[in-house]
Amino acid sequence: MRTTARLFTGTALTVAAIGAFAAPAAYAGNEDWNSNSESSYSNSGSHESLEIFPSSASPGETVTVNTLACGKHGHGVGDANSLGAGEFQLNPSTHKEVVVGQFEVPEHVKAGSYGISVACDNGKTARGELMVKHRGPSGHVQTGVGGSVGPDTAQITAGAAVLAAAAVGGVWLLRRRASGARSH
Amino acid sequence: MSNRTKGWGIAAAACVGLWLVHNGSANVTPPVPSAAQAFAAGPSVHTDAAADPLPPSPPVRLRIPETDVDAPMMRLGLAENGALDVPPASDRNMAGWYGDGTTPGAKGTAIVAGHVDNADGPAVFYTLGALKKGHRIEVDREDGRTAVFTVDAIEVYDNKNFPDRKVYDEADRAEIRVITCGGGFSKKNGYQGNVVAFGHLIGVKPVARSAAKSAAG
Repeated sequence: MRTTARLFTGTALTVAAIGAFAAPAAYAGNEDWNSNSESSYSNSGSHESLEIFPSSASPGETVTVNTLACGKHGHGVGDANSLGAGEFQLNPSTHKEVVVGQFEVPEHVKAGSYGISVACDNGKTARGELMVKHRGPSGHVQTGVGGSVGPDTAQITAGAAVLAAAAVGGVWLLRRRASGARSH
Repeated sequence: MSNRTKGWGIAAAACVGLWLVHNGSANVTPPVPSAAQAFAAGPSVHTDAAADPLPPSPPVRLRIPETDVDAPMMRLGLAENGALDVPPASDRNMAGWYGDGTTPGAKGTAIVAGHVDNADGPAVFYTLGALKKGHRIEVDREDGRTAVFTVDAIEVYDNKNFPDRKVYDEADRAEIRVITCGGGFSKKNGYQGNVVAFGHLIGVKPVARSAAKSAAG
């Protein structure tokens, strides 16, 4: 739950940050702000960059990606087949300049680096790398319910046997005493 | 012997019987390791000889000769909260190992877990807390080798203060951890802690024939 909250906070911050530096271009009435922003993004080859958060994730975790490549009100299709997570949709976020999509890291992915790509409706593409790491176990294990906790039946049985023997002995002694008293 | 002496004898026997019944009725809990079995210096301080690590190979069976443990092993994953999964409680003699981690005998820290008990009574690692330093833990592996570990320490931790790094961090030699529940029991909260046996690899031997047969079968 906390992780999810952190994830959303992080995404919100990322989106806010993108909005912050994209805004001046937009206010300037520059429709071509996308190309402006390229200088702010590291861009490899013909691909635009893809923001991946978190950049390093473990199996089962949800990964959020966003990019400016698809443009205002744009849409895109993400490709996470490299790690077996299939395709996912990217839709405009609350900050309309970016499109955002999510996918989950499958449970049985080996640790390593995986390429994630996005194909936009406008024909542009974006690429990024996701590091998959396996977290080790943490915390204590749940390996008992207390079924072994209980009375020591062997000791109780032994005690009961000794008590029974004492009772038999006592009865025998009393009887002998009684018969001895009669014989006098 | 006079009747009086016999009477006293019977009274004494009755007392012994009552004491046995009373004492036996108190709850018996799994053995808890003594402070003497804890680390003197910590798991990263090595003063003794260690065998060279083996290549990775999944474990098949685990034995602790000292306490007559002889258990098959299954692969374990992680639960939602990051804790190690455990074998099904219904199988009292099943031990497990963290399948995405180090295999026993390989370089690093192999994590093994099993139940101390289930609803019906004691389970595979009931006696873990009775181990002592120097006892052996043997793990048969798929590659036909048996990794032999010696126990370095047995410690008990409260669930609320479980030392993740001490227990789970990767060692720079071949080490093993065997974990089960323990450290006090209450009807309301169950077991209050975990007993952890720490060991390191001291030797390798071929799998005993009977063990190899059961592993194949």
